Amino acid sequence: MKKNIRRTSSIVLGGFVTLSMFLVVGCGTQNTAPAEQGESAKPKPGGTITVAYAYEPDTLDTHMSVGAAVVYTWPLGGSLLYKDPATNEYKPSLASDYKISEDGKTWTFTIRSGITLHDGTPLTAKTFKETFERALNPQTKAKTTAEILAPIKSVSAPDEQTLVLELHEPTTAFLETLASYLSQPLSLKAIEKAGEDYGRNPVGVGPWKFESWKTGEGVTYVRNEAFQWGEPYYENQGPPRADKLIIKGIADSQLRMSALESGAIDVATEVPVKEVKNYRSNPKYQVMERLRPGVGLLLEMNLSRPEFQNIQVRKALNMLVNKEAIIQAVLQGEGEVSHTPLSPSTFGYDKSLEKYGYEYNVNEAKKLLDDAGWKRNGSGMREKDGKTLSLNMLTTADVDKQAQLLQAMLGEAGINILIQKLDMAGYMQEVIKGNFDVTLISGEYDDPDILTFYFHSSGAYNLSGVKDDQLDALLLKGRTTIQTDARKQVYMDVQKRLIEQAYVVPIYNDKSFAVINSRVKGVKWTSVLPTYNDSWIAD
Amino acid sequence: MKQYIIKRLISGVIVLFGLSVFTFMLIHFIPGDPVRIMLGQRATVEQIETLREELGLNKPLVVQYLDYASGVVKGDLGTSLKTGRPVSTEIAERFPATAKMAVASLGVAVVVGIGLGVLAARFKDTFLDGLIMTFSTFGMALPGFWLGLLVILVFSVHLGWFPIAGGTGFMDIVLPAVTLGTLTATALSRLTRAGMVEVLSNDYIRTARAKGMGERIVLLRHAFRNVMIPIVAVIGLEFAGLLGGAVIVEQVFNWPGIGTLAIQAISSRDFPMIQGTTLFIGAIYVLVVILIDVLYAILDPRIDYTAKREGA
Repeated sequence: MKKNIRRTSSIVLGGFVTLSMFLVVGCGTQNTAPAEQGESAKPKPGGTITVAYAYEPDTLDTHMSVGAAVVYTWPLGGSLLYKDPATNEYKPSLASDYKISEDGKTWTFTIRSGITLHDGTPLTAKTFKETFERALNPQTKAKTTAEILAPIKSVSAPDEQTLVLELHEPTTAFLETLASYLSQPLSLKAIEKAGEDYGRNPVGVGPWKFESWKTGEGVTYVRNEAFQWGEPYYENQGPPRADKLIIKGIADSQLRMSALESGAIDVATEVPVKEVKNYRSNPKYQVMERLRPGVGLLLEMNLSRPEFQNIQVRKALNMLVNKEAIIQAVLQGEGEVSHTPLSPSTFGYDKSLEKYGYEYNVNEAKKLLDDAGWKRNGSGMREKDGKTLSLNMLTTADVDKQAQLLQAMLGEAGINILIQKLDMAGYMQEVIKGNFDVTLISGEYDDPDILTFYFHSSGAYNLSGVKDDQLDALLLKGRTTIQTDARKQVYMDVQKRLIEQAYVVPIYNDKSFAVINSRVKGVKWTSVLPTYNDSWIAD
Repeated sequence: MKQYIIKRLISGVIVLFGLSVFTFMLIHFIPGDPVRIMLGQRATVEQIETLREELGLNKPLVVQYLDYASGVVKGDLGTSLKTGRPVSTEIAERFPATAKMAVASLGVAVVVGIGLGVLAARFKDTFLDGLIMTFSTFGMALPGFWLGLLVILVFSVHLGWFPIAGGTGFMDIVLPAVTLGTLTATALSRLTRAGMVEVLSNDYIRTARAKGMGERIVLLRHAFRNVMIPIVAVIGLEFAGLLGGAVIVEQVFNWPGIGTLAIQAISSRDFPMIQGTTLFIGAIYVLVVILIDVLYAILDPRIDYTAKREGA
């Protein structure tokens, strides 16, 4: 069981936001500002749309890539299901229909006919079988895709149109995986033909066909003329309107914005919050934004440390953090105070939970610390049995400002914070070993199952070391409950329990921003990334 | 001469060996596990161990180094952990961009740097000299990334004359070459001026002028040739540095060269790639330094590497 939890569902856990921010599928737009551009004139075909992200891909073979290439493989792909932005329901996309058995373990799909991959191979149930089996075959050494497909026990294709997935155990969050282009069908024929070079000659089923990848200069896609299977939330289900799409990696955010202003690119993603205001008031550009789903910024406490075994201390920390002040200072107001670890844009969140959250209250926090035996000593520090309350905060440069603010806020109550800043690679290694007293972390994923990773006793990302039977039971129940309302209730209970036990200090939920040159119309940001199926160039 | 070159090449190999050992130790001492980065946070212990095994990361460091070194000797720099492609392929793909920029930057540096240096020396202690020296002091103090951002802002964003983050074509190269070239030119102009000022005070210059020779000939043929030795040394080293990838300026301009490759490799702890780029940059340095020494002998007949020590 323990092993299963680690294997059955996978998310890219962020704090490592930059690497992993794209692995999120389907987004509830109900809480975000317009995710769709306003339209005025009539769409026309032609032109090239150039987009910049912060990273170059490692490989364009979806199975072999680790996180950062998702933005590059997304335009090539499609998925069995899609998440309806209006209702948050999972509906068939490359499938025409699907059924989940009573016990939740057998998932049967009818594959749509008349769909072809970019190399002309018709899409059948066998395509999916081959794709999933390739990803799951240890010989392939597939990365992220293998992890998210891990709930699959076996795949069969009894006929051309029927695909049957047997799961190890019922896993509701697997719907999310099947709506992700990370599970996109691949052409085994193309993979065999290209051999080692497949990562630079990918073949997919999506609206854009791969044309070229010049190292350091970007990946170029051309319109897939045969494309007729766009998700229903697009206005245009046929081939994209623009002739070409170019995606390039520009690591430096300053340069990304300069490139946008000089007209070298049309869409700048991962725009730093401090830049956003300038573009909001400029009619030449349009700002799109989206509240990140998953878990917002959390201050995690290492529960194996004796000081945190006392709930009074954990509550005190919760009350010492002035979340609004951090949002103002770091995010320039562009974020929302977290009352629970789960983001308001994720299924399972409910406004009614806000009343359970801890209010900023320094005096009450000081009282709690006093009651817990941590008294102020002569130099103003908290001390108990001759030991001062001094905590090592492990962070990365990304959240340095936040760390400093927290240092000041906790310092107000006599808690000493030592900030230890590492680069991402070093941080990942240390944090997983538990070499910290407190740390800052966030994770992006559009399903409340992310909480299992963070807070189940054997969750792969349970950095704090939460061990709570009641919570474990609830998290497992959430994973196997299919009925929507019941599932939501389970996750509300999970969040209540997390707040009640003050296992973590939820700080804020931030947004991701893209700035788009107004000449490009019809950009949609209903799922993970802005997409360009409807886009056209107004010039 | 031939013997000298062979001797230098052998010592170069020793330097590279030292470099590779040093790099190898260093990257294994800094925290950060490439396997974790490759597999992501939720990889199981078994998955991590399997991959470590496969990559040979479980072996003792000495064995790992020997494996690596024996590959290098056979011309195999290993496979990138990140992209799964041969390190040599990745470097070969990036090198043309770096080389182009190095040549272009050096062109700017030589023309501007030497030109200004000669002018300043010729008009020593005049307003022009002061202006040139102020410029060069200013230029030496400028950080490359700042100058880079500034030229992007002015010439790409506001004036729209040059593209940014586009590719590696002629127009793309102008801004990074001007940035890097200017930075190098400042040092070069001071050096040229100092050398020229010294040489111009020599008797043979006075003689040449007294013979009624044109000022241009005096400056270029009589004076300049004599200050070339230190200049060539500096130019050579700058060129070696540029060929190794101007890491920061490449980052600022998103230039797809060796510098960017090295930075990416470090942040993803792509061990073979870090080793490969370091070794490559080191090899270029060694070769260029040898080349400079050979050039010395050509430029200055007084230098003779075949002569016995006591005669030198």
